[in-house]
Amino acid sequence: MSKQVTEMLKGTLEGIVLAILSGRPAYGYEITAWLRDQGFSDIAEGTIYALLVRIEKRGFVDVEKVPSEKGPPRKVYSLNAQGREYLDEFWRTWSFLTERLEQLREGGG
Amino acid sequence: MSDIEEYGFISKLIGPKKRWRAYKARVQQLPENYRTAVEAVERYMMHFVPTDNDNDASRFEDLADLFEQAAADGTPIREIVGENPVEFVEAFVQNYTEGGYVPARARKRLTDDIERAAG
Repeated sequence: MSKQVTEMLKGTLEGIVLAILSGRPAYGYEITAWLRDQGFSDIAEGTIYALLVRIEKRGFVDVEKVPSEKGPPRKVYSLNAQGREYLDEFWRTWSFLTERLEQLREGGG
Repeated sequence: MSDIEEYGFISKLIGPKKRWRAYKARVQQLPENYRTAVEAVERYMMHFVPTDNDNDASRFEDLADLFEQAAADGTPIREIVGENPVEFVEAFVQNYTEGGYVPARARKRLTDDIERAAG
């Protein structure tokens, strides 16, 4: 994955993770594995973990501890109403950005 | 009950020193290279000033959670901390602190220690 992708991802990863969680609840490892499958190969599990701690502290997700076959219980994250609101705002911002960038690319400025 | 409330309650009950000892005991149980990596991250996090006592303890407990789970899953250390461990730790520690003073040699030491642990 190029340096440029990594840089661009920094500002959008939070929205990406919330969007994944809007589909269904998931734990950190699943989210990282999904992103890797989608070609975001350089994403560290710890980066996703740090982000999950952050969105938990900001009150965007509900957390449930679920026993796992191996190792300690897993924290399963699900998007709550506040998280959904924030995700809507993320998509609005994203649409604004992509429209403007598309205009720039077409030379409209 | 959220973890923050839960840990806050536990911390009143057992105190910060016991939480620290409990964390250290958990780290001792990890496979050696995971332990080396956790201790490298721990050393680097010491440069950051926690916002309160609860955040001071929970940053280490959350760190232990991450590495215990990763060790159980068999996730390689490099996949946990990424190519740039400094970036990972700084993003992680932001959740518990308002900042800190980190000398350049500490960044180098973290990078070198993780390199050694990741093999």
